[in-house]
Amino acid sequence: MKKIGVFLCNCFGEIGRTVDLESIRKRLASDPSVGFVALRESLCMPGDAAEVRATLRERGVGRVLLGACSPYGRMETVRLGLAKEGVDMRKVRGADLREGCAWIHGKNPAGATRKAANQLDMELARLQNGQDSMDIDIRVRSEALVIGAGPAGLAAACGLAGMGIPVHLVDRGSAPGGLLNVVTKVYPTEVSGPAKIKSLVEMTGSSPLIRFYGKTKVASVKGYAGDFKVALAGPEGNTSLRAGAVVLATGARLLFPRGLYGYGKMKNVITQMEMERQFAAGNVACGNAVFIQCVGARCAERPYCSTICCPLSLKNAMRILDEAPGSTVTILHRDIMTPGSTLEAYYRKALHRGVRFVRFDAQRPPEIRGNGLVSGVEVFDVLSGVTRSIEADLLVLSTPLVADPESAALARMLEIPVDRHGFIAEVYPVHPVETRNDGVFICGTARWPASSDQAIAQGEAAAVKAASFLGKETVPALTMSRVPGTKLGHAEANAEACTGCGNCVAVCPYRACKLQRVGQRSVSRVIKVRCKACGSCMSVCPNGAMQIPEQNYRVTGAMIRRAFREVR
Amino acid sequence: MSPVADTNILVFACRWCGLIGADGAGRRRTELPASFRVIPVECAGYVEPDAVIRAFASGAAGVAVLGCHVGGCRFNDANHPALKRLELLRTLLDTTGIGGDRLLLGFGTAHEHHQWADTIRDFHRHVEGLPSMESWMTSVAGDR
Repeated sequence: MKKIGVFLCNCFGEIGRTVDLESIRKRLASDPSVGFVALRESLCMPGDAAEVRATLRERGVGRVLLGACSPYGRMETVRLGLAKEGVDMRKVRGADLREGCAWIHGKNPAGATRKAANQLDMELARLQNGQDSMDIDIRVRSEALVIGAGPAGLAAACGLAGMGIPVHLVDRGSAPGGLLNVVTKVYPTEVSGPAKIKSLVEMTGSSPLIRFYGKTKVASVKGYAGDFKVALAGPEGNTSLRAGAVVLATGARLLFPRGLYGYGKMKNVITQMEMERQFAAGNVACGNAVFIQCVGARCAERPYCSTICCPLSLKNAMRILDEAPGSTVTILHRDIMTPGSTLEAYYRKALHRGVRFVRFDAQRPPEIRGNGLVSGVEVFDVLSGVTRSIEADLLVLSTPLVADPESAALARMLEIPVDRHGFIAEVYPVHPVETRNDGVFICGTARWPASSDQAIAQGEAAAVKAASFLGKETVPALTMSRVPGTKLGHAEANAEACTGCGNCVAVCPYRACKLQRVGQRSVSRVIKVRCKACGSCMSVCPNGAMQIPEQNYRVTGAMIRRAFREVR
Repeated sequence: MSPVADTNILVFACRWCGLIGADGAGRRRTELPASFRVIPVECAGYVEPDAVIRAFASGAAGVAVLGCHVGGCRFNDANHPALKRLELLRTLLDTTGIGGDRLLLGFGTAHEHHQWADTIRDFHRHVEGLPSMESWMTSVAGDR
């Protein structure tokens, strides 16, 4: 085994002023596994990396221990410099002697020196006992499966095809478009739904790279990032295909307000979606229309705001005033949610246009009057403190988007979690279109209520994220991390030691551990592509069968033993 | 046998929150007791209960596991089951005579360097006030 070379950085006195580096040098030099210990003024200045490299060549050491600053400080520069010089960075470890020692124990030089010696010893243990994870390359199939052909799915499919990636676009409807097919005007530009996504639909039809599967459902998805095996159930029977990535754009549906405000019992109580259908059919009744916002939303069961209902109501209110002159529209709301400059201007436009707004309190919801048909609404106006009685010929309920049960079933198949409302959870707020399962991306209302503009933007984002992965022929499994270059390694299961208890399967936050039948028994197997090396499986394995080679039990054990070793 | 200084604290710091907090405290040159040693880990989920016990056997008078806030874990909430496991371990520490209050579970985010410093100082003070580990060490040595 090649010896270890140690470089101790003085940091122009920042470390040496507090820590007695000379005594540490002597101490380390006496370790049989250490080839040499070099004291340096700096490691991160120009030319330092080349000098270190030269010393390494000259001394013929295989592994390097750096006693310098914190990994978040200049150590990054040091590492980048050494990597540029061609040093194998897997064989380089650093101990934090500046931020973690000299700078916080400035008044206690003896204690700081003891601590520095211990911390160097501990990192030495890592070099002595650590191993390297296996290098595994994932072959990436440059094809994508996009589930759902609403605005988000279309944007994702067209984005991917635009980057030269073949796309299988699946939708349960016969034509692409999703909910926008029903909408004859989309806020705030007031173009029709189909017109808004015309270019995307046209591209879907004309691009040789996009294959559209209408009236088709996804029967099963198996496999991992780079190579998913997909079975589709369509009108022409089952199709199987393979894709490197999956974009989930299954959308949401609108809540059906059964039993609320006389819906279902009284004929003139309708939902906003039924209003859209009336507009499409061209029969807009003249009269007094009353809209109620937040029907079944922002309540205990569904505490979220559905994003689209306020602007949608503003649009429909103005449309009634335009198409049926002589009508009045009153919007009963709890808050008008119109974020952004465009929608706020839209709200002001509605105010000027003569739409009336009455704010009510969730504790005192509006009450409807009438037999068989709604004739009026009683509402307590919280802003003026009086109860208002409003004549109504038409009552329109604004209901929120709710998760589609089919998306939840797909999420289960793809091993990604859903939140308590059934929407698909993103992996982390800073990775909005990625999921726990690498290679599976989400966009549109399947992840959270969104306007069509937002859904299209998310679809494009998902396309770019998927393309950055699909654009490569092979991807090293060691780079499969949200933050590139930060994956420590991947866990490995020792089939000899494994008893198949399944603890690792239960605890793995990435569903990377699977039990596999081998002869008479079950043994755990790690899917290296999914593993992010958090070490959860290691800590629950009763047999030590799960190990991350870089930080295996020997490393941890040795580090613990050396943590408080006496320093002479 | 390692000497038992009564304030030896072994810190398992996750490198996405705890360790960055330590770095922040270092940059601000926050003076801290020099009795603690840090083992950087990927995630608090990595810390096996066994490692905590071994730390006490190797001369630690206190063990701190510092991870991200629950809900803010970089590894899909791997720190949450870890927290539960280590809470169970506390009972075992009480039973074996080490004392559950020698184990500290701390949660913070990367920028909370002041919280990191306070955690270390407070825990140091707390461990300082506890009875010596010597008697426990000798009883363990006797068992061997």
